[in-house]
Amino acid sequence: MHDKTRRLPGEAAFSLALVVLSLWLTTVAFEISGFEALSAPGSFPMAVTAVMVITSGLIFWRTARLPAAGHIRDWREILPLRVVGMTVMIGLYAAALQPVGFVPTSFLFLTVSIWMLGRTSPFYALGISALSVAGIYIVFRLIFTVLMPEGVVPEREIIAWVQSLFAGAPK
Amino acid sequence: MMESLQYFLISWLDPQLLGLIALGTFAGIYVGAIPGLSVTMAASILISFTFTWDIYPALSLIVGIYMGGVYGGSRTAILLNIPGAPSAIATALDGYPLAQKGEAGEAIGLSTVMSFFGGAVGIAVLAIAAPTVSEFALRFQPRDYMLLAILGILLVGSLSGESLMKGVFAGALGLLIGAVGLDPLTAQERFTFGIIDLWGGISFIAVMIGLFGISEALMQLHHIDKLAIKQAISRIIPSWRAVRKFLPLSLQTSAIGVFIGALPGTGGDIAALMAYDHAKRVTKDPEVPFGHGAREGLVAPEAANNAAVGGAFIPMITLGIPGDAVTAIIIGAMFIHGLNPGPMLMIDRPEMFWFIVGALVAANVFMLIFGLTGIRLFVKIVELPRPVLIPLILLLSIVGAYAVSNRLMDVYWALGFGVFGYFLKLYGYQVGPVILGVILSRLIDENWRRAIISDREDLGGLLWGTLSSPLSAVLLASVILIFVSQTPLWGMAGRGWRRLRG
Repeated sequence: MHDKTRRLPGEAAFSLALVVLSLWLTTVAFEISGFEALSAPGSFPMAVTAVMVITSGLIFWRTARLPAAGHIRDWREILPLRVVGMTVMIGLYAAALQPVGFVPTSFLFLTVSIWMLGRTSPFYALGISALSVAGIYIVFRLIFTVLMPEGVVPEREIIAWVQSLFAGAPK
Repeated sequence: MMESLQYFLISWLDPQLLGLIALGTFAGIYVGAIPGLSVTMAASILISFTFTWDIYPALSLIVGIYMGGVYGGSRTAILLNIPGAPSAIATALDGYPLAQKGEAGEAIGLSTVMSFFGGAVGIAVLAIAAPTVSEFALRFQPRDYMLLAILGILLVGSLSGESLMKGVFAGALGLLIGAVGLDPLTAQERFTFGIIDLWGGISFIAVMIGLFGISEALMQLHHIDKLAIKQAISRIIPSWRAVRKFLPLSLQTSAIGVFIGALPGTGGDIAALMAYDHAKRVTKDPEVPFGHGAREGLVAPEAANNAAVGGAFIPMITLGIPGDAVTAIIIGAMFIHGLNPGPMLMIDRPEMFWFIVGALVAANVFMLIFGLTGIRLFVKIVELPRPVLIPLILLLSIVGAYAVSNRLMDVYWALGFGVFGYFLKLYGYQVGPVILGVILSRLIDENWRRAIISDREDLGGLLWGTLSSPLSAVLLASVILIFVSQTPLWGMAGRGWRRLRG
């Protein structure tokens, strides 16, 4: 839980970044229609960004004056390696989803992340992932009929083939 | 009347819809019960999978998740002293001491039955009050809508976070995100930077999944090594005597719950804390002191937070203004399904309203059934190891963001907001106001412009109109009061007042 009487590492920089972001967005908002009219398309964005500038400024002012948190000095407390690793993993997963397809990408993503996070045996991770992907596939793709990227696996052909097994002989 | 009853029964007579409500309630209870997984997270991820459905099945699932999720948070509050959802914070105060005494089963049973009563009261008030409120709301001026929406964001921002400033910043950020794209009135580009993909705005679902799904899962990685604690659970169905004894209190706090839930911007969490406070004041001599396992302290918040569900639907359906983050998500889902929550909904689509009421009643009944059974399965699911759970949530978040419109762009937005949300949460900003802002952005923008155009661009005229209408004046006064009460000005005013009185 965040302690509001102490400043965490990076907190001042983050609140400063929000001030800079707000200031920049204010200039973008101004360029929409300037002070043309109170009902112009740019007046609401300008009001909103003004609020952002004021509040982020006050937050930064308060944050900068707080004493630094004594017990947390290490950056890794704020941004553990696990968080960075998982963020990279989901980034890769998202990028591979469309070209490679849902089933193989998900299976690989789950196996690697469960194995890494849980420090378990690779076989446990493989098993759980296979079960999970099968479960998700059945629930979302087959029951809820959500379209998922096919990629390299010829899913439709496989589903048609399985259906043909239960359809009996062609008449 | 007959028509309303017919609409009310739609979900009860269709086995598929009834099944979806049951499924939603079940999922809601279990997701709500897993610490760190909130009902908002469940709703945001699952809703993304329902966009291709018809509106009835989609709403059935969502209503179930909401009802079950609010209740589910109490389980872990009682068993592990970790509230599964913010609305269960008050439940932990007396629920956990009860579990420590080995009375976890009874505590769960009692909280389930009282949640059911609370839920029923909330739905009854919704069914009776909403038609009247929406008739009244037809007379609302654009400025009233604008003020109500601002009030909602301010309330969420000031009550749920650690500081008003952070809440207001988050709300304004949400309003800005909602303004990206072509201006709805003049088609002028706003914050699009010449990118055509941004003309349609940033997908609200992507923002939601990022802030509530991905960022929450990343936060949970901090506690990955924490193990679930096993608790022996005995008899779960409460005695009739206990139910009868606490019924009056639960009805009182249900009334509090509905009222608080119906205010725009406030939901079950605040209702539960206020109900707990009420129970403390009216219970003269509890058998066990509060904080040490008083049953009154368990019953009061549980009845209130489920009553707040029905309450929260009132402003959502009649005004189009969400009561909390989950109702904001439901409004977003209704928009996508071509429905427009607001006073006209009751007139144009009365069947929608009665269908929702019927589905809520069904969800409440399922909550009672699932709450009193399946305790073994429950313990198994809550003990699901986090190294398995977190990758699964992340995977579903990505697939959910993709499923809405099959665009990778949305996945990247979700990812971006996930990382941004992680830092926001880390440094004590609330993400609830952001999503409320995204939903309310267009409403505030359009009503502001309508209001100022109808007063011929004269700010003085608009102000005079606001002050001379009792409703607008009260709303404006509330907005100012909430804002001032959270700033140092309030303290200064108090000191000045005392000095004046001598």
